[in-house]
Amino acid sequence: MSEAIDRHVAPKVDRTKRRVLPEGVFAWMLVAPALFFIILIVAWPLVETIRLSFTDARLGGENYVGFENYNDLFTDRRFHATIVRTFYWMFLSVGLKLVLGLIGATLLNAAIPGKGLFRVLVMPPWVIPIAIGCMGWLWLYNGYFGLLSGMAQKTGLTDAPFEFLAHKTSAFYSAIVTDVWVGTPMVTLFLLAAMQGVSRDLYEAAWVDGAGRWYRFRRITLPQIMPVLVSMALLSAIWTFNSFEIIWILTQGGPRGATTTLIVDTYKVAIGNYKFGEGAARAVVIVTLLAIFSLVYLFFLNKVNKRFGGK
Amino acid sequence: MATLELQSITKSFGEAKVIHDINLAIQDKEFVVFVGPSGCGKSTLLRIIAGLESSTSGQIVIDGQDVSDAHPIDRGISMVFQSYALYPHLSVYENIAFPLRVQKTAKEELNERVMRAADILQLTDKLDLKPGQLSGGQRQRVAIGRSIVRNPKIFLFDEPLSNLDAALRGDMRVELSQLHRDLQATMVYVTHDQVEAMTMADRIVVLNGGRIEQFGTPMELYHHPATKFVAGFIGQPNMNLLPADVTNVADGQLQVKFSTGYAMTIPVDTSTAKVGDKVDVGIRPEDVHLGAEGGLDVHIKVLERLGGVSIAYGSVRDAATKFCASLPGDARITEGGTVALSFNPQDCHVFGSDDRVLRRLETPEVGV
Repeated sequence: MSEAIDRHVAPKVDRTKRRVLPEGVFAWMLVAPALFFIILIVAWPLVETIRLSFTDARLGGENYVGFENYNDLFTDRRFHATIVRTFYWMFLSVGLKLVLGLIGATLLNAAIPGKGLFRVLVMPPWVIPIAIGCMGWLWLYNGYFGLLSGMAQKTGLTDAPFEFLAHKTSAFYSAIVTDVWVGTPMVTLFLLAAMQGVSRDLYEAAWVDGAGRWYRFRRITLPQIMPVLVSMALLSAIWTFNSFEIIWILTQGGPRGATTTLIVDTYKVAIGNYKFGEGAARAVVIVTLLAIFSLVYLFFLNKVNKRFGGK
Repeated sequence: MATLELQSITKSFGEAKVIHDINLAIQDKEFVVFVGPSGCGKSTLLRIIAGLESSTSGQIVIDGQDVSDAHPIDRGISMVFQSYALYPHLSVYENIAFPLRVQKTAKEELNERVMRAADILQLTDKLDLKPGQLSGGQRQRVAIGRSIVRNPKIFLFDEPLSNLDAALRGDMRVELSQLHRDLQATMVYVTHDQVEAMTMADRIVVLNGGRIEQFGTPMELYHHPATKFVAGFIGQPNMNLLPADVTNVADGQLQVKFSTGYAMTIPVDTSTAKVGDKVDVGIRPEDVHLGAEGGLDVHIKVLERLGGVSIAYGSVRDAATKFCASLPGDARITEGGTVALSFNPQDCHVFGSDDRVLRRLETPEVGV
């Protein structure tokens, strides 16, 4: 009988003899998979790009050239112009996206009839593939069968077909319009979500205290959504800085470099002309500029969170 | 300060009518509490007074002036919200100053009024903090401070203590009563907690289903509940209601017999009663005594020993009716046991089949 009972009793485990990994080793084991992939897809390409930037790598081979690529860049006036153009492109586009997004979110957050439908209608520019959206804009900008040129002629603004993408200034601002068209819906939806998170009681309390619509927007809505607004500005800035498809599909950086931003320039040099070394140097400049920009931005984000946050 | 009159106020949301023809006159410097269960319309009524909701019909008159269509700021009211509605990005000082900034009050006057409110509410050392750094009670005081600085005619409070824990709620009740005395202001206060209503109000409005059940002083409501609903809502623990049959009606003497066979004669207004009527006899747990022979036999299921008193919950023997008694703290009773309980006929309330009370003829003198 006692043997039968013994067979059903689980063997005792001596916990004191169990092997325990040192805490540090266990922690490294936990982060190892993520670390492996980060090294593979982020760190290694970055290091390789930096290495390439010190070479004259082409299809045929590569030689170490020191800082020659960087020296060429910093003495190239066209490259300086590209940097200025890129920042102008970024600030103008992001500014418009934020302003339009703020207006759109405010309207969609208001108690207007059919706002559910309007919220759905905001989505398409963001949802449809960029290439398809850009093809639509190519047609709109076309001088001979494009809607915009046709309307300009009918209203008497021009008396001949106007190719929006064939002139330096109009091409740049046309690309901006398309970029804003693609980027605004996401900003709108994020700001709308932030606005919907603001307690209704705050508005009612202000209403009882006599605050008008504009005062409530300025003193309640804007401060309450400020952390989201600033975060969106940073993300949008990085995406716009690196925006490639829209420019490439519309103008390929032309006419005469009028829409060539840093990322387009890098692509042209590295992939178009097979000058991998020079392209890598440009890529390193982009990473450095964005890193500095992000650090400055994060500094301000921290300040904004401190000022407008709850604590 | 000001008087407030509600004249034939109704409110409907689509087909649903939530406020039914409310008529009410609140005196100057009075502290009136709207009390009732969830969904009774008390908060809606307060929001109508504030101007946050419009009534479907009826007038709101403040100080003799019809303000039914006026903007909240023109009504001379201020409101404290259940959630406090403090601006999280502003300091305590700026939160309190907010209504004055809206009114573009001169800097010196603004500072003076904010500091005075902070002084009254003991917030002087917290003025630089953000609401997120304050305790629940302190946040509530900031919300009250925002009301005080405006010098409103009428203060409105929408369940301001419901987010606080029990101990803090008790402290804040005392502080609010003190504030009312200090400010000598007309205050309308909404709560679902009858203890808050009883302890703070000059007069209480009991609301049920969008209608006023009764409007009176706390002790009037306690001793003379007009309906079975008020009788059940006011008083802690709830009043016991025992079904009975009317067996004899004499002038001012109603003889009833309970299903257990226990009979008694109760001194009430019998003008509407007749033999054979089904009535409910109400008796408050605190009016029940450990009884003599011939009383009600109650089977005790749960006993709560609170020290000074023992609350016994059970049911009347030979009947399914629940019964609660508040007995002396050292009463020799046990859970699972049966105890004989009795009560005086003059402590009983009798409710007819229409749930309205037959007025008691012998009652203790009602204080205010």
